[in-house]
Amino acid sequence: MVDVWLPRSAAGGSIMDGAVQVETAATYGAAASAGSGVTPDSMSFEQLLTPLLSPAFGIAMSLVGNAADAEDAVQDAALRALRGFDSFQPGTNFKAWFYKILTNCCFGRHRQEKRRPAAVDLDDVPDLYLYARTAASGLHTVSSDPAALLMEKMSLEQVRAAIDALPAEYRVVATMFFLDDLTYEEIADMLGIPVGTVRSRLHRGRRMLQKALWLIAEEAGIVQELSRGSA
Amino acid sequence: MTPNRLTCEETFRRLNDYLDRALSPEEKRLVEEHLETCAGCAREFRFEMSLLDNLRAKLSRIDIPEDMLARITRRLEEARRECE
Ligand SMILES: [Zn+2]
Repeated sequence: MVDVWLPRSAAGGSIMDGAVQVETAATYGAAASAGSGVTPDSMSFEQLLTPLLSPAFGIAMSLVGNAADAEDAVQDAALRALRGFDSFQPGTNFKAWFYKILTNCCFGRHRQEKRRPAAVDLDDVPDLYLYARTAASGLHTVSSDPAALLMEKMSLEQVRAAIDALPAEYRVVATMFFLDDLTYEEIADMLGIPVGTVRSRLHRGRRMLQKALWLIAEEAGIVQELSRGSA
Repeated sequence: MTPNRLTCEETFRRLNDYLDRALSPEEKRLVEEHLETCAGCAREFRFEMSLLDNLRAKLSRIDIPEDMLARITRRLEEARRECE
C-alpha cells in the first residue's frame, strides 16, 4: 500500500512499492464521457464502473488523504452504486452519478492532515505567474514550449507535492479537473457547492499551483539547470 | 475597433473559461480570432494550454494499490450473490 500523494520522503519506503500504474484519461473518454456526458443505456453496470475506479481512487485520495481510506471509500461507493443502480436513469451521466456517491462516501471519512513542508504562501498569486517567472529566467529563449520544458524536468512526485500544497478546497477541485475532464456543473453537483464557486476555486487553484510548481522546481535546482541553457 | 472584436484585455479575461472549454461557440470564435492576429496573447494562451496539457498527462497516471480492482470486483460479485 502506498500513499501516492505524499512527497517521497514522507511516504516511507519506495513510492512505487506494490503500486500499479494505470492510464485513466483515455480509457473512459471514448465510451461514455465524450461530448454530452450521456451514458449509452446498453452498457452494463460493470462496463460503466470499471473504467472509473482508478480516477475515483485519485479523487478519493485528495479527499481522505490516505490510500487505505481512499480504497475503502471507492469500494463503499461501488457497492452503493450497485445497490442503487435501479435508480440510475439510463441515458444520463453515469460518471457524475457515481462520483457524487463517491464524494459522499469520502466525506464520511476524516481526512488525516499530514505534516506539510514549511507553509507556502499561495495567497494572491497573479495571473500568468509561471509565464512571467519562466520568461524572467530565460526559459522562453531555450524552448518554444517553455511550459513543456519545465514539466518534463519535474517528476510526478514533485507535481503531486505541488497539488498537495494547495488548501483542501482548492486541491479537491483541481484534482477532479486534472483526473477527469469534469464540467463546472458536474463538480458543483458532486461537492454540493455553487457552480460559480467551482469556477473561481479552479481558476484560483491553478494560479496557486503555478507558484507551488515554481517554488518546488527552484528548490530542486531545475530552474537553474534549465536557465543555464539560455546563457 | 468593431464591437465584435476583442481587445487583449477582453481576450485575457476569457483565458480560464477558454482553457476549461466553458465558452460559448461564439465567444470561443472571438477569442481565436484575436489569437490569430495577436502574437503576444497567442504566446500566453499557448503557454497556459501547454502547462495544463502536460499536467494532465502526468497526473492521468494514477498509482492505485495493488489488487484494488480485483478486491472491488470480488466484493461486487459477493454483493450480487447476496442479493439473489
Ligand atoms: Zn492580444
